[in-house]
Amino acid sequence: MIAVRTDDIDIGKLISDAKQRGTGAIVVFDGVVRDDDIKEMNIEAYEEVALKELERIAQDAKQKHNLLSVDIIHRTGRLVVGENILVTVVSAGHREEAYAGSRFIIEAIKAGVPIWKKELTNDGGRWVPGEHGHGAGSRKHK
Amino acid sequence: MNVRIRFFAQFGELLGTDIIAESSSGVALDSLIKEVASKNKEGYDAIFDEHGSFREFVIIMRNGKRLDMADAKKVRVADGDEIAVFPPVAGG
Repeated sequence: MIAVRTDDIDIGKLISDAKQRGTGAIVVFDGVVRDDDIKEMNIEAYEEVALKELERIAQDAKQKHNLLSVDIIHRTGRLVVGENILVTVVSAGHREEAYAGSRFIIEAIKAGVPIWKKELTNDGGRWVPGEHGHGAGSRKHK
Repeated sequence: MNVRIRFFAQFGELLGTDIIAESSSGVALDSLIKEVASKNKEGYDAIFDEHGSFREFVIIMRNGKRLDMADAKKVRVADGDEIAVFPPVAGG
């Protein structure tokens, strides 16, 4: 499943579904709202483009790292501390491929998928700065 | 001619998130964004520097495709285009 959505994610079901013929390793990445003295986090996406980018990243990851399956679910909207923001589940024949594929996906998302996070505090809020400036998404993951 | 302009993150807070801009045919992309952004000085200043050039970190997409910022002045918008303007992404 590749999705940008407000609903939470059943990680257990994703793991079950990822077990298919040939699977020897599954790596789960779960990015959560950290308790950085904030009330909530608001996540905004350019949804139609973000979804296409996630689909492309999943295909790239499969090809580059010989993955058997890839799930990427990025949430949007208001989330409280501890809630899931991003879940990726990858399966592969061996752990090296699964770890590498998982890492590839999260780095590609941070580099170029049009999604933004705002930390909401008692004083108002602050946008989380991107890690990549102009030219972000320059396809360094290709 | 109608062009849809979408601002995201802090740009959207300052300028509005979804704007239909009416303009003459063949207008330069940067001119159109300047015109729309000029309604809010803080929003304009967030996107353009003191010389009227896009700030180094600004990212623009036209119809879902990222533009090389060196081409932003040369690009002419067409009727029905969707232009997205946003700061560096921060998902994940």
